[in-house]
Amino acid sequence: MTMVDDNELAKLRGLGAPAPDPQARIAALHAAMAAYDEPREKKSTAGQGSAEPERLTSRAAKLWREIMHRKLVATPAIAGLVALPIAGYTAFHLLNERPFGFDGDRTVAETSAAKPVAGGPAGKTETEESRGLDETFVAPAAPKYDATMKRQPQDDVEYGTLRSAQPSVAKSSPSAMDAAPAGGRTRDVANSKLYLPSTEMAVAPAPAEAMPEQAENRDRVEDFKSNPVHSAKDDPVSTFSIDVDTASYSFVRRSLKEGVLPQADTVRVEEMVNYFPYDWKAPDKADTPFNSTVTVMPAPWNAAHKLMHVAIKGYDVQPATQPRANLVFLIDVSGSMDAPDKLPLLKSAFRLLVGKLRADDTISIVTYAGDAGTVLEPTRAAEKDKILAAIDNLRPGGGTAGEAGIREAYRLAGKSFVKDGVNRVMLATDGDFNVGQTDDDDLKRLIEQERQSGVFLSVFGFGRGNLNDRMMQAIAQNGNGTAAYIDTLQEAEKVLVEEASSTLFPIARDVKIQVEFNPQKVSEYRLIGYETRALNREDFNNDRVDAGDIGSGHSVTAIYEITPKGASQQIDDLRYGDASTANGGVANADEYAFVKIRYKLPDGDVSKLITTPVTTANEVSSFDAAGTDQRFSVAVAAFGQKLRDEDATAHFGFDRIEEIAAAARGTDPFGYRSEFLSLVRLASALGSNR
Amino acid sequence: MTAMMLDEGDASDSELIGRAKDGDRGAFGRLVERHYDFVHRVAWRWCGRKADAEDIAQDVCVRLGRAIRDYRGGGAFTTWLYAMTLNAARDHARRSARESAKTAAYGVHALISGEAPEEADDQAEALWAAVRKLPDKQRDAVLLVYGEGLSHAAAAEAMAISETTVSWHIHEAKKRLKALMRAAGDE
Repeated sequence: MTMVDDNELAKLRGLGAPAPDPQARIAALHAAMAAYDEPREKKSTAGQGSAEPERLTSRAAKLWREIMHRKLVATPAIAGLVALPIAGYTAFHLLNERPFGFDGDRTVAETSAAKPVAGGPAGKTETEESRGLDETFVAPAAPKYDATMKRQPQDDVEYGTLRSAQPSVAKSSPSAMDAAPAGGRTRDVANSKLYLPSTEMAVAPAPAEAMPEQAENRDRVEDFKSNPVHSAKDDPVSTFSIDVDTASYSFVRRSLKEGVLPQADTVRVEEMVNYFPYDWKAPDKADTPFNSTVTVMPAPWNAAHKLMHVAIKGYDVQPATQPRANLVFLIDVSGSMDAPDKLPLLKSAFRLLVGKLRADDTISIVTYAGDAGTVLEPTRAAEKDKILAAIDNLRPGGGTAGEAGIREAYRLAGKSFVKDGVNRVMLATDGDFNVGQTDDDDLKRLIEQERQSGVFLSVFGFGRGNLNDRMMQAIAQNGNGTAAYIDTLQEAEKVLVEEASSTLFPIARDVKIQVEFNPQKVSEYRLIGYETRALNREDFNNDRVDAGDIGSGHSVTAIYEITPKGASQQIDDLRYGDASTANGGVANADEYAFVKIRYKLPDGDVSKLITTPVTTANEVSSFDAAGTDQRFSVAVAAFGQKLRDEDATAHFGFDRIEEIAAAARGTDPFGYRSEFLSLVRLASALGSNR
Repeated sequence: MTAMMLDEGDASDSELIGRAKDGDRGAFGRLVERHYDFVHRVAWRWCGRKADAEDIAQDVCVRLGRAIRDYRGGGAFTTWLYAMTLNAARDHARRSARESAKTAAYGVHALISGEAPEEADDQAEALWAAVRKLPDKQRDAVLLVYGEGLSHAAAAEAMAISETTVSWHIHEAKKRLKALMRAAGDE
């Protein structure tokens, strides 16, 4: 029962709610009528302080009366059994001198009362009963239902204190109504603000549930909190793993094109920045797998701050030295793939890729649905017609049996294994990946084991719904693969074809970056993005700690915002200072920072180190003097931060981002940057209040 | 959709809404009556406690009474009901969070006096229990998409967020659910 996939979740539909208590139903209907009858002008103030404190005796009497009315009348047979605990609860409640919630008492009563009501025959009488009562309900005599009506003001008073978070019940309902049916844009903006306090305030309904959830929650909260500002004196070292995922950009794009600002949680700045191809200087020789370019420039959103821009470019394996490729397409043809943006798009994407392969490369195709099946045994790319015919014949249908599929794919990859070549399983799925009886960890182990034997795995997510699923995550973080999300053919071309060489040829594994800032030059720093990729300082030199991989021609960009020494600081200096840095004897006092990059060659187990000091030689005097690609990537970083509603860019408008990006568009051969500009304009139109 | 839609000759939702907006309280009554079970079901799925579900459903009824004249239509009435019910459920949870210390204390008391909480007796209930531990929005998304069988687009409308964000919440929920279910299995 550890699997949580669509099949599992589909069971959620099966469980029907117990039939509502007929008395509760009638009470609710009368409450509705009373609310309907309320004078309209009173609405906004209704409930606010209308309930005068009641005397204890009348409260007790009313509580008791209501309990008897609501519960015991409905199920007279068990009345005797329930009466005692309810009496206990009544006393308990009164002793606590608090307004009545009416929550606990019913829970108690329910344990014995619920079952007979939920049963078949009882449900039937209930319907009849309530229908009979409907006659009276249409024209209710208000005073008769006094006890029920009283509950309403009480409840309202209770959440009077919450009004600051959510204006007022009466007010919020109509506004919800205005926007919801229209699919409104403005609503979402208002709403996302509204939700913020609510998640914090109502962690869970009961403490027993709250405890485990808090524990579960920790990872996730860290995931989505933006990196804080660090004092270079207290905490001079920043360590993180490289990340070449780009899924967040696709999410953001889709959301904006739907006319809604993306939720802050879905925006990962580094994934947005790394989405774009940049022309960073590449290394000349394959023996240093990548080159880093560090630029220090003024921060466009804060004149007193600077940005330290670290750009890494992987060695571009030239076609002449490209080893032969042995690719196995593992394609999900389950019923859920039967959507225009899934299987048909996938077919077109793989057709594109087939066109780019060389005659000696081999391709196999395995599908998985009800059963895993080999559609195409390893076939040379020269036999293009045969491969394309096999792709065209893929048909959606059946459930998903991923485990058999992945094992079969690995078997074929082993069968046509190319020594010193590229051996890769390319999994295309909409995210449903049912691995049979094994759970995620077994799958991870399988992928790791195969990786060690030289067969890598990449995942391509299609369609919406399950995309970027736990499966994709597991692989992106675990295997030597890339996880990418494909929503359009243009994206397919970018990911599969344009980046095919980098996706297919890993040139460095476990790439980690560690930056040590010099407190003499830098008082504070902040890493923009990479929140989910943070590593401990000691992890940097530990080769057993896994990190991201870089493929041929890949580029990775990381940006720090730094506060130069002397500029106003967010964090006060310590009164008693730090002897090790304030002693004036620091070596290399003119350096801003020292950038260390650790990596392993694809077949190596021992890491290598590249170091780069960052000095004034890396600095440009004005932002405009920085390179085109640097400026563009900064615009993307600003946009991401803006969408996350971060403080740093609070006073930096979308118009300024657009300006920078437009000026740094460059040749933009594939139109990615133009598309970015249109997203900035969309966001600007949608979120004028951000 | 609900058990109460038995009278075939009855007026449509939009007719009733139109008349309720014009002050026809009989029409409003029939509308609420027709949808009460629906609201109750959603509320029950959200919170999993009969008593709370009834309170939430009543709260939704009250909100409906206050808001029906401002209802503009445009989308499905049920979409609006989903939105209202989820909001009411969240408000209710917030309120009862403050009550919960006392309730928990009484839980101990109840155990001593021989009352045990109802056990989740099958997988679906265990799964629902896990779903209820999700953060609000993930819980809403899973409830609407898997519990109610809405498309991501329809859930997006009810939650007043983008479809992509619904997908994201579902994605995050699955990760979380897996951990929750595993933790439950270890117990």
